[in-house]
Amino acid sequence: MLSKPDSALVIVGHGSTVNPDSSAPTFDHAETLLARGIFGEVHCAFWKEEPSFRQVLHMVGRDDIYVVPNFISEGYFTKTVIPRELELDGALTRRGGRVIKYCEPVGNDARMTELLLRRAAEIAPGVDPAQTSLFIVGHGTNLNDNSAAAAKREVERIAALGLYAEVRSAYMEEEPLISKWDEYSTQPNVVVVPFFISDGLHSYEDIPVLLGIASASPGAASAGGREVFQHNPYHLRGRTLFYASAIGTEPLFADVILEQVAAFDAVHAA
Amino acid sequence: MSRDVQKALADWLAGGGDRIGEIAIARGPAGWELRHAEDAGRADLTAHAQPEAARHLANLDPAGNFRPLKTAPTLVRGWRLLLADLAAVRRALDYFYPAMTGVWLSHTRGELVPVVLRETLGRQTGMYRVTQKLTDPQARELIDRVCAGCLKHRLWEIATANPSSPAFPAGNLPLLCHEACNLLVAQAREVVKKAERAA
Repeated sequence: MLSKPDSALVIVGHGSTVNPDSSAPTFDHAETLLARGIFGEVHCAFWKEEPSFRQVLHMVGRDDIYVVPNFISEGYFTKTVIPRELELDGALTRRGGRVIKYCEPVGNDARMTELLLRRAAEIAPGVDPAQTSLFIVGHGTNLNDNSAAAAKREVERIAALGLYAEVRSAYMEEEPLISKWDEYSTQPNVVVVPFFISDGLHSYEDIPVLLGIASASPGAASAGGREVFQHNPYHLRGRTLFYASAIGTEPLFADVILEQVAAFDAVHAA
Repeated sequence: MSRDVQKALADWLAGGGDRIGEIAIARGPAGWELRHAEDAGRADLTAHAQPEAARHLANLDPAGNFRPLKTAPTLVRGWRLLLADLAAVRRALDYFYPAMTGVWLSHTRGELVPVVLRETLGRQTGMYRVTQKLTDPQARELIDRVCAGCLKHRLWEIATANPSSPAFPAGNLPLLCHEACNLLVAQAREVVKKAERAA
């Protein structure tokens, strides 16, 4: 059991200027971890919201600080923006009596596979995986973003387990397009899990529209958006379709954050 | 450089501090009470007892719009937050006015280094690199427009530190801005893009 009363944990996320849904899971995981009393203090920071990356270290009292990116993949944010804004020298930064330990993003964790499988099973209870096509949906096309590669990696891991008849990656803006889900699947049941860190416009509106289970904008994401997850299963295009919320809203992500800290310690033995 | 933000908050309250941004802080029935300063004297407020309630109270303005800038003067009214101890007060304030108690502590310790706008824009990459083309007159207009909707005192200028001192009334915890926020940087991008389209 991890116990770090003399350390601070800072969870960094993207955030949004448009709605509170983007930062919500990061705040939720922080509250969960604070309540467990593992760290002396727990804070969040965001690129698009407050506290910002430039403000957060002023909030911290402890001199031993773990920074965990709540991002699905390594890429522009974890490699460029976060290190630049927090003025990090690399994995380990010593500055003004402080030690800042920059961990791997949560999406790199080996447990992602388990969490995706768990979410897929939860959303389609009693549905036989042997008669189901599972889609892991990523964004795609983002400059210098490895989210598509991360989705492919998870698909390979899940497929290797041989549970589902079919496991595929699909994207919003590049082939294979999630809008063509019925062309890319052969099974009577289809389960779709967004491989995103948070719910928001993509999971509430964009993907449902591409799937054909929603039309036009239902309005503010945080208002009616969540409803799209409450009408499973959807019957269309001759299939039974189950649509899950973003994987990052899974409460077990709090444990994945802890594992990034443990993994850091294992590599950079104190 | 061990820092104790909670102790700094305790000392500030003991010295007569009772106001941060739009929020009034007072001794409550069993600890501390926070409420919108304009709700002073009201008896019809909805009571909350967990600091996490502050996160949700701070999310939306009275019209239901998201508040990405928590120091915008648009905090909803009609609530009171009853908190048992200073740890809870500190957590609530970190939701209402993220980082502001810590930034203020850094300021009082002489550890807060203002970053001028040119330096902030100069290190941008990706879609925000274009903000380096922002002219001084554009920057002036942008700051006057965007920062007018924020309660923080700006410690920076376009190319120099802001020479004026924070002017917060006695009892008010100063809300300090030591560097342009991403909201302003994003707006700078819009200004540059708009000017390029018009050219």
